[in-house]
Formats: sequence, structure tokens, C-alpha cells
Amino acid sequence: MNTRLFSQLASSCGRLLLLLCGSASALLFSACKPSDPAVAASGAPAPNSTRVAVVVSTLNNPWFVVLAETARDRAKELGYEAVIFDSQNDPAKESQHFDNLVAAGYGAVLFNCTDAEGSIANVRRAKAAGIPVFCMDREILANDAATSQILSDNYSGCVALGEYFVEQVGEKGTYIELLGIVADTNTWNRSKGFHSVVDRFPGLKMVAQQSADFDRSRALEVLEALLQSHPDIDAVFCGNDAMAMGAYQALLAAGKADRVKVFGFDGADDVVRAIAEGKITATVMQFPKVMAQTAAENADRYFKGQRDFPQRVPVTVELVTKDNVHRFGDYGRKP
Amino acid sequence: MSSTRNTSAAPRSYPWPSIAAALAFLVLLLVFPPFRFVRVGSEAPTAVFDPVAYAERFWAEELRPAAADAPALTPVVLAVRADPTDAADRYARKVGEGTTRYFFVRGAGRVIAVESSRLLLEVEEAPGAVVALRTGPVFGNTIRDGTGLLDLNDVPGLAEFNALSSELNRLAERDVLPVLRGAIEPGARVVFAGGAPAPESVGAGPLLVFVPVFAEVASP
Repeated sequence: MNTRLFSQLASSCGRLLLLLCGSASALLFSACKPSDPAVAASGAPAPNSTRVAVVVSTLNNPWFVVLAETARDRAKELGYEAVIFDSQNDPAKESQHFDNLVAAGYGAVLFNCTDAEGSIANVRRAKAAGIPVFCMDREILANDAATSQILSDNYSGCVALGEYFVEQVGEKGTYIELLGIVADTNTWNRSKGFHSVVDRFPGLKMVAQQSADFDRSRALEVLEALLQSHPDIDAVFCGNDAMAMGAYQALLAAGKADRVKVFGFDGADDVVRAIAEGKITATVMQFPKVMAQTAAENADRYFKGQRDFPQRVPVTVELVTKDNVHRFGDYGRKP
Repeated sequence: MSSTRNTSAAPRSYPWPSIAAALAFLVLLLVFPPFRFVRVGSEAPTAVFDPVAYAERFWAEELRPAAADAPALTPVVLAVRADPTDAADRYARKVGEGTTRYFFVRGAGRVIAVESSRLLLEVEEAPGAVVALRTGPVFGNTIRDGTGLLDLNDVPGLAEFNALSSELNRLAERDVLPVLRGAIEPGARVVFAGGAPAPESVGAGPLLVFVPVFAEVASP
């Protein structure tokens, strides 16, 4: 009885396992079959859709609008359907966007992240679904998730700005620093780059450091308040150009605009014009259009079979001063 | 109706093919597991990047030999004086995208002025061509990006790449600049190797401003 039961059980299990084995082997061999040369070379399947998602950290800042719209427009020029997703500086919203674009079967993502570490999981999810991700401007802190990352070097830009700051303000003086959003890695990359230079000069004293959230009106309010207790400063270093314009307005209202030097970062058009007019001392030009176009063109190359992309490509940023401002405009260099 | 039951003991037969298939399947499962358990955060930690050690090794093993074999200064200076854009196209290099480019050369000149944070030299074999050597604090990426020997993808990320740049600048300040900060007088001959940003235009000042990675001074 036991023997018969065992035999029947083993026989049934065996048939089932034979079937499973056969299926597994078939799957294994079919998966290994290099039907596509690109797949054979890389192991990555070709995308099953030619729709491109542009996921951007925020559309509440003109600089990121330029980044997103340039990426979308370049993708369209190359023949793809492209849609912009606004994460509103919210990692949860960004995650929802990735859920939606994976479910909708997009073919590629041009991505400006909200969080260097927190966004990695989203990129991995897209990768697992066979969707390549091309990061723009902001880095994610992983080397095996994104297909490629084209990055703006905020730290080095502020090193150059710090050198110019010392040249213009001198090796002795007082200044205020307006920080961006404190949770944003770029806020600290910029601040650290600037301080890596300025802190080498003991005569330069930072009398206040406060966040104005990358926001123009907030910068106006913050600096107005700080000028009450620090009326005799020589300069203001701002983590972005929106804050630089707000700081300039505060100094203008206080009658100090001619005496206090303002430094920004981004290369926004209004600040470039203000440098030409002698209102702002300097900014750092990032190149959102170069980064967006490069990301879109890399996605196009991926669709056409290329797989060997460098993980990271730096885009050098450039100091904009009264001496070279004539070369800049429209978020980049003039043709 | 009667039925006769065969009570004789039948030989036991085991389904060997099925058992073999089951064993093969189990082996397949072991070799190609369909899933695995991973404790969150238990991924193998990546090796911590040490910018100090990396910079020291690069300086000793790659930068010094590159400085000894660097292209000559004079043709570069003459090219810059004639057409800075053409000179950059012919002799300069860059890292990544963008317009910032660097020369990396070796040459000699006579000191014509000693300033607070730089020396001005008249280039040998190029009368009237003046370049500067930084003697004050070193900032920026001239050393890191000037040689063409380092790439962002050699290190874990942008922060590490910038840390490496800072360390290379520190080594230049520690090992090279003291040679140039001594009691140097106009007329002294300086042999050096180093990097300089490629200018877009030529102004009234020195044609190029170098961050030296090697320097020797001979009294006049």
C-alpha cells in the first residue's frame, strides 16, 4: 500500500517536474538566444515603446522648465512622443510617476531627480522593467541603475565663483550666505565649493547663513531682516539666481545696492542681464539645454541599439562676470 | 461473481525517470534560483573611496612621469599668442562636455616679476611671451583635468572626483609651491611642468596661468 502510494506520488510528481524542467529549459535556452545583436552584446532588451518620459524635479523654477522643455522638444525632434512629469520636489510624487510610466510602458526616461539617494529605487524599478533612464543635471548615487548620467558640477562651479569672490571682495570683509533648500544636495555642493575657497582667507567673515529655499521673494524677506542686524556687509553669496535677484531687490530697497556685491548661481537670463548692467557681480552658468539635448540624443542612440554609454559625463559650468557676459544668454553661450 | 486476487508479491518498481527529472529540476533550482531573500540594506558595501591615497598614488605613479614627458611649452605659447581658439583646438584637452579646456606642458622661463600669489616668467625661445605660475593657494580642476589621465568614471561619483581634485591641489601646494615661494629674484631660471586653462582671448596679462606640478629654480 505504502509502496504503491509512493510510486504513484513519485510518478505524478515526476511527470509534473519533467514538464516544469522542460519549460524551464525552454525558457532558459530561449532567454539565452541572441536574436538581437544589441541584446547579444549587452543583455539589455530593446525597448518595446518609443515614448519618452521627461521626469523633472520641479517646474516651479524657470531653470528646470528650460531643462524639461528642451529634453521634451529634442526628443520630439528625433521622432519620439514625449511627455513631461513634474515631481514638484516631492519624492513620493516622483515615485508615482515612475509607477505610472512603467505601467504605461514608456520606452525611456529622461530624469532629473528629487533625491540623490531616494531616487535610486525608482531608477532601478524602471531598469527592471527594461526602461533605460538617462539622468540630467542631478546625480543619483549609484553606478548600476541609470544607463547614463549627464551632470552639472555644482561644487566646481562654486569653487570658481569663490575665487572670483575673493578677487572682487578682497581678502578681508563680511558677507551673508543665502542657502537653497536645506534638504537639496545641490544646496550643500554649492555651499561647500564656495567655502572650500573663501574659508582659506581668514579675513573674510560670514556674519550670517540662512536658507531662502531657492526662492526670490523669500530671499528678499530674509535679507531685509538680516540687514537690520548686519548693515555693513560687503557681499551676499546666493545659492541660486532667483535668490540673487531677491537679494538685489532687498539691497536696492535699503540703499545698499551700489556698495554690496551679489553673487548667484545658475545662469538665469535676468541675472545675466543684471551682470551686464552692473547690478549683480557674477553667476555660474549651468547648461540646461546642453544636458537636456544630450540626454535626449542618448535615448535616441539607445533606441537605435547603442548600449555602451559612460555612466557619468560631467558638464563643466562657467563663471559669468562683467568681462565675459557678452558671450552668454538664453541659458547658455551665444552662438 | 467471484474475483480472484493475485496475492503473489509483485516486484517493486520505482519511477526512476521521474525521480531523475525531479533531481535535475532541483539542481536547476539551485543553480538558477527564481528568487532570493535579501535583508534590506544588506547589500555588499562598496569599497570606500580614499581620495588622499588615490591622489598620492596618482601623483607618484602617473603624474610625475606625465610631467617629465609633457609637450613643450614654447609651441603652445606661440600658438596661444597667435590664435587662442586654434591653440586650444590643437593642444588642449577637456573632461566631459563643455568648453573648459586645459593645456599640460613642460618648459622654462626667466622670472620677470614676483607677485603675492604668482611668478611671471618670460618663456625661453619666445621673447616677449609671458606666462604666470601660481604660488598662492591652488583651487579648481586644472591638475585633475589637465593631464587627460583621469576620468570621472574612474571614481565612484562626482563628490569623490571633486575630493580627488582638492587632494591633487593640496599635493601641489605641499610639494611644488614651496620651491617657488623661496627667495626668488627676477632673472632666475625656472623649469616647470603644469596645467593651465586655455583662454578664449588674449588680454593684457600673462598668456597662460599655470598650476605647476613640478618646478626647479636656478639662481640668475
